[in-house]
Amino acid sequence: MKKYILRRVIQILFTLIIFQTLLFIILDAQPGDITNLYLLNPKVTPEVREQMRVALGLDKPPLIRYFQWLGNFVQGDLGVSFSHYPRPVMDIILERAPRTMVLFVTNQLISFGLGYFLGKQMAWHRGTVFEYTLTILGVVFYTIFTPWFGLMMIYLFGVQLKWLPIGKFLDPTIWRNVAMDANTLFYYIILTAIVAGALYLLIISLTRKASRTVRQIVRFAGFIVVAGSTILIWHMTSYGYLAGDILKHMILPVLVSTLVNFAGTMLLMRNTMLETLNEDFVMAARAKGLPEATVRDKHAARNAFLPVFTNLIISIPFALSGGIITETIFSWPGMGLTLLEAVNSEDIPLAMGTLSVVGVLALAAHLIADVAYAFLDPRIRYQ
Amino acid sequence: MEKKKLFMLLSLLLVFSFILSACGSATEAPIEESMPEETEAISEETDAAGEETVEEPASDAQELDVYRVAMLADMTSSNVWNLFGPGASTYNYVVQANYWPTLYAIGDQRFDLVPFLAADFTSPFVEEDGLFVSTVVLKDGFTWSDGSEVTADDLAFTAQVVNDFELGGNWGYWVNGVDHIEAVDSKTAKIFYTSQPGLADHEYGVLQNSIVQKAYWEPKLVEAYAALDAIADLDPESDEYIAGMAEAQQIIYSVDSEGEPISGPFMFDQWEVGAFVENSENSDYFFKGTLIDLYDDGTYHEVKGDEWEFTAYGEAEGNLILSFENGPYAKAVVYSIYNQDAAVLALLNGEVDYIYNPNGYGPGLRSQLDGNADVDVVENARNGWRFMSFNFKSEPLDDIAARQAIACMVDKEFLTNNVLQGAAIPVNTPVPVGQPFWYNPDVTILCEGFSEQERMEWAVNRLKEAGYTWDTEPTWNEDRGGSVEWGVGLKMPNGEYVPELILLAPSAGYDPLRATAGVMIEQWALSIGFPVSAQLTNFNNIVAATLGGGGNWDMAISGWNLTPFPDHMCDFFLAEYGTEVFAFTGYTSDRLSELCGEFTSTTDLAYAKELGYEMQEILATELPYLYLFSNPVQDAYNVANVGYPYLEVLGGLENLYGQQINVYSAE
Repeated sequence: MKKYILRRVIQILFTLIIFQTLLFIILDAQPGDITNLYLLNPKVTPEVREQMRVALGLDKPPLIRYFQWLGNFVQGDLGVSFSHYPRPVMDIILERAPRTMVLFVTNQLISFGLGYFLGKQMAWHRGTVFEYTLTILGVVFYTIFTPWFGLMMIYLFGVQLKWLPIGKFLDPTIWRNVAMDANTLFYYIILTAIVAGALYLLIISLTRKASRTVRQIVRFAGFIVVAGSTILIWHMTSYGYLAGDILKHMILPVLVSTLVNFAGTMLLMRNTMLETLNEDFVMAARAKGLPEATVRDKHAARNAFLPVFTNLIISIPFALSGGIITETIFSWPGMGLTLLEAVNSEDIPLAMGTLSVVGVLALAAHLIADVAYAFLDPRIRYQ
Repeated sequence: MEKKKLFMLLSLLLVFSFILSACGSATEAPIEESMPEETEAISEETDAAGEETVEEPASDAQELDVYRVAMLADMTSSNVWNLFGPGASTYNYVVQANYWPTLYAIGDQRFDLVPFLAADFTSPFVEEDGLFVSTVVLKDGFTWSDGSEVTADDLAFTAQVVNDFELGGNWGYWVNGVDHIEAVDSKTAKIFYTSQPGLADHEYGVLQNSIVQKAYWEPKLVEAYAALDAIADLDPESDEYIAGMAEAQQIIYSVDSEGEPISGPFMFDQWEVGAFVENSENSDYFFKGTLIDLYDDGTYHEVKGDEWEFTAYGEAEGNLILSFENGPYAKAVVYSIYNQDAAVLALLNGEVDYIYNPNGYGPGLRSQLDGNADVDVVENARNGWRFMSFNFKSEPLDDIAARQAIACMVDKEFLTNNVLQGAAIPVNTPVPVGQPFWYNPDVTILCEGFSEQERMEWAVNRLKEAGYTWDTEPTWNEDRGGSVEWGVGLKMPNGEYVPELILLAPSAGYDPLRATAGVMIEQWALSIGFPVSAQLTNFNNIVAATLGGGGNWDMAISGWNLTPFPDHMCDFFLAEYGTEVFAFTGYTSDRLSELCGEFTSTTDLAYAKELGYEMQEILATELPYLYLFSNPVQDAYNVANVGYPYLEVLGGLENLYGQQINVYSAE
């Protein structure tokens, strides 16, 4: 197992270097640079533009810049943003990443949970109106034009019904004169989610060997206690209403993202589950007289879960950059919007930095998926 | 089977409902793409004004709790050195441009040059030790937000820092030839230039630069000055020096400026990155409560009780055309960040009062805005124009007769009103009408008010006079309402046929207005025999072909935004006053060159105006550019919540960053 992980780590490091090299070449090959934006401004003379090029290191040959970039990247230095000059790129990424993480991890978990559950049920109820209806709904949401759908949802819930905010991640009227900044609150929210999630996982783990009835009761009660305590603790702090404001602003983007994304997981789960249901071991389980729910959840669904799980792990890092559309529609200033702004303003260090982080996360996700696969599927360990 | 039929029916209904909802929302969905913003903007500065209509005085203006502005991007820096250097951006300026005092400013609506921190106009230049010196006296009682007076020391310190760190961009001390500034006493400063500057460098340059508080900044710049000391002995041309200077600049741009005293109408309060910025009222703002009067004889008058009074450009003998009391009336300004669609929805929802939107509104968004009784959209001419340039290196466009003939055929009123359906405002002169101080009202406008027949006849006669001939001369055909029978085989005075001429225009995807104008001009030119071929292409190709100097072009349609001071009449046409990049047409004029020489060096505003009039006449008749139209600036605001002392202004509210100083409650 250690050998397997070590081999995968080495492969991924090698892939990372190739990725970074390609990234540098592709972005560096773009014609022009940031100083070209000032080409048509008579106040910025050619001398001043040259001074800017020197200041930004653009006067050096590409090969030197490449090695400097690679060396700095290894040290965690992603350079200085052109459009936010002289702010370090890492600083900007660290500022934006929590917002994207909160939004998209929530979205991924909900859409994955919903997709997994519905996919399982669809396969189990194959040939019924339930399956057909969900299939059509799934295809509709999966193929819907996201910007149009997002704007329609804003128009409906934000303008017509006035139930939810139109955009942004907070309401300035609530946040005016508040001492705490939103990013700190995002970190607290993430921390809370990790602690609450870990507690709940612990409850699940401890009740694994309990009887079905006890297990269900304890887990449900545990969920209520953990969730209730979390809400209570936040309520007792003086910032609970601020977190509530952020959560309120999350509803619409999460709803839209979930509706657009859950169908992929649902249809994948349905297909793999259908294949699994034809396996001999499922027939054997039924032949043994096991309850239908046990056959479905323990024997079929768990085996069908493997490709769906891989899909989840691999999709998480791309959610960071793939949220460009959602973040733009909902004026949510996260990584996706940052990448878009960087490209629009020819801020190459920021674009490279954002893509690098996404690349690192994608490769890390691959590694996690590989390792998790080895645990979930013992056949891989023994290969 | 029954279930399947039911299911099929439900499916069809579902699909049908989606189609219906999609079609139904096509006119309502706020998904219009805005027209791409030009990359050719020159300046962020504001400018003056329009029609002689008396605006409602705002002296009884109501206080506003908070002025809510929607912005399409966040600000990126709050460091003043960075802000007017590499960090210059329109969104930074919306929030912060008015924080710092300047010696002079551009006045309201008509954009007169008026003293701001200065008590009056500067003294004439005198020579001292080989340097040219102008003395300026500062107002009494002009304070920073911490209560201390703004002094000449602050001015001298600011210039010193800019010069020491060689700060460029919109910092204009050393760039404009300032050697140093000396504080004679706390309220008197002497500005020393290495050579005598003109209006562009002095009045419209150095005197409009921001000033920072010495007491706040001096201790903050110790580290940056230490970096400067490290390179003090190096050759300024060496790579080490340049790298060291870049490092020192980076230090100064990175200094945290929290709590910096300012002197503008608003001061920084809160910045929630990516969400909103808030400015709160500076209750010590010097001009609060000042009555501003503009008269139609050109007089600018301001008075603040017994404390302050100033009159310029006349004796206040004409009719009052604008009168209002200076704010701020808003206790705070909150700038929220939205994308364009969400900003429009927020305005319709009453969540914001004004959208700062340099991108303009497409027809879909515009129809949404127009459909709401609480929202008004005002249109103003932009301080700039879309124009067609002639390549003087191409025959026969180096001939004034050919240029004038083509120019005469271009019916701009017809183009903007009939073809472009009012989406653009016709422009005829190098200086926009909305700049009344500089605009020459008597400037020649070729073929103004002519019918199509008259245009054709004038153009043909002009060409004939210059020796042009046709195989078949253009004529007017009276049939069916009349039209031009196209000329064929146009020959130049040397007897050769006019070669095919390429007209570059932006593609319709980039700018449908200019694309349409390109096609129309092609047709008009063809009708009198010029074999013009319009090529609608990527805007970058036009920039590369013209400004880049490497292209195959004869005529090209592009655009400029302008600054308040009209030295563009020199910069855009004569390489010796701008750069070769800008003077890409190849046009030369000894007289214009002579006038520009005086225009850029004179310090007499009245004389500069006189020179500017003649320069406008030269450019309007010799036509290196044919001015076409300007895109109107569209400003959407909530009439139920806010009001402004004036709405007619060149560049619109956008150019005034939403007129934050004078906005008042509409209730």
